[in-house]
Amino acid sequence: MTLRVPVFLPDDRQLLSSPRKFLTDLYFSRSRRGIVTILDNVSFRLMAGERLGIIGANGAGKSTLLRVIAGIYAPTEGQVKVNGTVRGLFDISLGMHPEATGLENIYLRGLQMGLGLKRIKDLVEDVIAFSELQDDIEKPFNTYSTGMSLRLAVAISTMIAPDILLLDEWIGAGDAHFRIKVKTRMDALVQNSRGLIIATHNTDLMKSLCTHGLVLAEGKMVFCGNLQAALDCYKEHAAK
Amino acid sequence: MLTNDLRNRFEHSQSWLFAAWLTFLMRYRKTFLGPAWLFVGPALFIAMLGLLFSEVSGIPRATFIPHLAIGLTVWTLISGFVTGSTTIFQRNRPQILQGGMLLADLVMVDVFTTVLQFVHQLVIIVVVFVIFGLGIGLYALVSLVGLMLLIANGIWLTVVFGIIGARYRDLSEIVQAIMRIAFLATPIIWMPGEGGRGGIMGVFLIFNPFYHFLEIVRAPLLGNAIAPLSWLVVLSITALGFALAQLMYARFARLLPLWV
Repeated sequence: MTLRVPVFLPDDRQLLSSPRKFLTDLYFSRSRRGIVTILDNVSFRLMAGERLGIIGANGAGKSTLLRVIAGIYAPTEGQVKVNGTVRGLFDISLGMHPEATGLENIYLRGLQMGLGLKRIKDLVEDVIAFSELQDDIEKPFNTYSTGMSLRLAVAISTMIAPDILLLDEWIGAGDAHFRIKVKTRMDALVQNSRGLIIATHNTDLMKSLCTHGLVLAEGKMVFCGNLQAALDCYKEHAAK
Repeated sequence: MLTNDLRNRFEHSQSWLFAAWLTFLMRYRKTFLGPAWLFVGPALFIAMLGLLFSEVSGIPRATFIPHLAIGLTVWTLISGFVTGSTTIFQRNRPQILQGGMLLADLVMVDVFTTVLQFVHQLVIIVVVFVIFGLGIGLYALVSLVGLMLLIANGIWLTVVFGIIGARYRDLSEIVQAIMRIAFLATPIIWMPGEGGRGGIMGVFLIFNPFYHFLEIVRAPLLGNAIAPLSWLVVLSITALGFALAQLMYARFARLLPLWV
């Protein structure tokens, strides 16, 4: 499948080089709309139980590929066929409302993830327990410390276990104690999934988690297959 | 398919309402009066304008102020649909990129939020009716039908303008300019002469779709008959609008995440 995306390419602007230029840039500069190919002829098949690691340089299109598989972006050419529920754990803080309380955010994010009200209600206790927030859950989200908001974000994002899990980098942030908790939770999620696709730079992580590897370079699939071969291919490619 | 998506997700209508209610309340969380501001602002406007214009135009207050109050409140609803729809998908970018909510869900949540604002402003109409001692008969229930139709139109409009607005960011500006003019062209702060249908504006009034939508909600409450033309216009627009929304949704909904 191939993904082409419209992007706005701004005119050449030299803001602040002179007062006159500033005005002309403000009023007369127009952005042209161009089409950019982000993924070019990427094709692979993943069977149940297999774990794929997508590796590539920054900007190669890894995150975009994940989003296409998640069904967020529709491919321009080709198709994506998925057997089972897919969920992506991408930006875990995306969609949090800063002025809502932690509890309200659990509901909001749960609804955004496509869960029904009753389902969320059943999961709330577990989320609060995992995040270790207790009474703070009633306070507005923008009063939380970084650690607290991270714990809540992770707790919410890992509320449900999908058939096929898509990860944009491993979630491993937080202090040492929390990192252990997260690892246990993530391991459980991975164990319970029928398929896993993770995009990462971390070759050690890939070795410990994945069975297969896909190397992406500038939107093109350079290699897909056995993990070790993929890692070797990536190393070669990176060395060039 | 729009109708399929809407039908399949209808069991989540509680979720729609909940999400709308939550976002709505949070908008007013830190203010002193909370959602009561929705009531206070328009109430003052109606009081001032009502007293002033009824003097100026010579129309008795008991006729003009209820006309103004209902017109303004319903206009806020219409305007909310029209202008809100141009930016709905840009405003919901995080939700779209999560992948958990369908576009149909986002549309319904937005529509519900606008309706909730309207419901809070209904108090004004009730108060005005009490002040002027106006009664309502069973005929006023037709107004409810009109309201349901209006809200249904809000749905297709949100889909169509949402999609166009995501692709052409100018739409928001164009729509706002049009609504400003439409507000003056529709009999909200003025009354068409000769009891509502004749007079010099009568001829042009029938070409104003907003007028027809306003009439099907306002007229029954004031005890006036609704012209058959208004029903015709409203029902045709509803049917054509949904057909258009179906087409656009089918063709463009998949592309939308790339546009926002």
